[in-house]
Amino acid sequence: MAEPVELFCWGGGWDLPSVHTDSLVVLAYVKFSGAKLAVKSIDWTWRTITASVPQLHYEGTTVTEPTQILNFLRKQRFNADFELTAKQGADTMAYIALLEEKLRPTLLHTFWVDAENYANLTRPWFTSHSPFPLNFFVPGRQASLALSRILLTKAESPLLNITEVEGKIYSEAKECLNLLSHRLGNFHFFFGDTPTSLDAFVFGHIAPLFKAPLPSGQLQKHLNQLDNLCQFCNAILKNYFTDPPAEKRMDCSPTANHDPVDANLQKLTQLVNKESNLIEKMDDNLRSSPQHRPHRHETKPLALAGERISTPP
Amino acid sequence: MSLAAEAFVSQIAAAEPWPEKATLYQPLKEDQILLSDSASSLAVQTFLRMCGLPVQVSCCANAEYMSPSGKVPFIHVGNQVVSELGPIVQFIKAKGHSLSDWLDDVQKAEMKAYMELVNNMLLTAELYIQWCDDYTATEISRPRYSSPYSWPLNHILAYQKQWEVRRKMNAIGWSGKSLEQVYEDVSQCCQALSQRLGTQPYFFNKQPTELDALVFGHLFTILTTQLTNDELAEKVKSYTNLLSFCHRVEQTYFKEHDGESQSGSSRHSKGSLP
Repeated sequence: MAEPVELFCWGGGWDLPSVHTDSLVVLAYVKFSGAKLAVKSIDWTWRTITASVPQLHYEGTTVTEPTQILNFLRKQRFNADFELTAKQGADTMAYIALLEEKLRPTLLHTFWVDAENYANLTRPWFTSHSPFPLNFFVPGRQASLALSRILLTKAESPLLNITEVEGKIYSEAKECLNLLSHRLGNFHFFFGDTPTSLDAFVFGHIAPLFKAPLPSGQLQKHLNQLDNLCQFCNAILKNYFTDPPAEKRMDCSPTANHDPVDANLQKLTQLVNKESNLIEKMDDNLRSSPQHRPHRHETKPLALAGERISTPP
Repeated sequence: MSLAAEAFVSQIAAAEPWPEKATLYQPLKEDQILLSDSASSLAVQTFLRMCGLPVQVSCCANAEYMSPSGKVPFIHVGNQVVSELGPIVQFIKAKGHSLSDWLDDVQKAEMKAYMELVNNMLLTAELYIQWCDDYTATEISRPRYSSPYSWPLNHILAYQKQWEVRRKMNAIGWSGKSLEQVYEDVSQCCQALSQRLGTQPYFFNKQPTELDALVFGHLFTILTTQLTNDELAEKVKSYTNLLSFCHRVEQTYFKEHDGESQSGSSRHSKGSLP
């Protein structure tokens, strides 16, 4: 029997399954392609400083970097891109390059270099999710890596000064977000009605910016003005990360997010969803193990939850 | 330059027409210029020819140090000095010449995305092959880069440049890649470009844009430059529509003007396309 495939990621927070961009990209792709793997968070382990996250372990081999992991999943026949034409595949590569060049430096700056955000949000989160004594080193190391990456790629040598670069990278990032918004238009996903790897990459980059409670977030304000990107994020979160797979609605109409639902009912629905998610996972684990027979009574709460979810408007 | 200063400069730029004595500066063509700089310089020259703006090419050993951003090529137009293709395109747009005004928003987004793809993959791969591959760095890059200088400055400058490029590769995560992986990346990038081009004459059908200039600059230079082995050129040659695209742009924009100052005629390169 094949060993299960394991994926190591940073843990979840701020309403997201993971706070780390690359981990989110891989998690989103896993959901889109229907791949079954065990997701393990590296929080509170020594992997926070030793591993380069995200990391996929399969039968002794290790794959890192989102593009390599996506290639690996495609080879295992978990392919979210098989309906794309050759030109759309080429477009995917181009837009991913655009994200990496224009948006990622600014995201790194917003979370790791901007003093207010780093001190109030990023560092406390990563410190609280790293084991002692690594919590002294992990955030600082990430911050210095981020700063050096921005300076080496964007600043004009030999005057490597961050303040000169800031204006440039923020304006480039805003332009990039505008371009993505133009490209998405009124569609649900970038290539039609089913999500692909490009949607995973865009989601991974935009979601932390959208959801994190940043004290000083000029880029976040800009993103909030681009409605279609916000709805894109919300749709993916709602359809792929909160609902149980049995109830997966492909209806990602943007208006459903803004219904005036009673807050308590919403919280109850989310709790029920999370519970049924957990039960599904347990069920899957039990089913995939050859020694144990699946427990039939597990499906009953799922059915009950299914009834409760279908009633709210 | 800060954003406010840039906006101010572009306002001034818009006021003046294109002068006759515009000059483009690049390192010495015969002895000094390397693959990546040659590609960028050719891209800018092609763009200016596509806009119909005359420019003189001047080769100086210290072009890199004269440039405001430290990167070549740069153009000296009237009172302003602008370097790198992106700012040059904006500068020329402020003067009223543009190759991409007729594109709609989605097409402009695509064009920018493909330009970033070329910069991200092709340019980075060129830099990697030149400076991170030990054999190429020792045989070609360091001797050529430091050729105008005498000992010991040549050693110091060459190693300093190599250290800088290696640091940058480290920061973006390319230092862990092997040469085969880099060639594979180049191949994938060319495949994406080839699929996007299809059977059209230019990337956006009838008229060339800055994307065509950039792609031509890089592909032509790769095809006509002699490195330690021909593997990079072979990767590009396997895509026939890209080859015919390069021929077409060369015929249209470089052959009809003076034949001697052809883009690729130097000892380092193999002349025109095979």
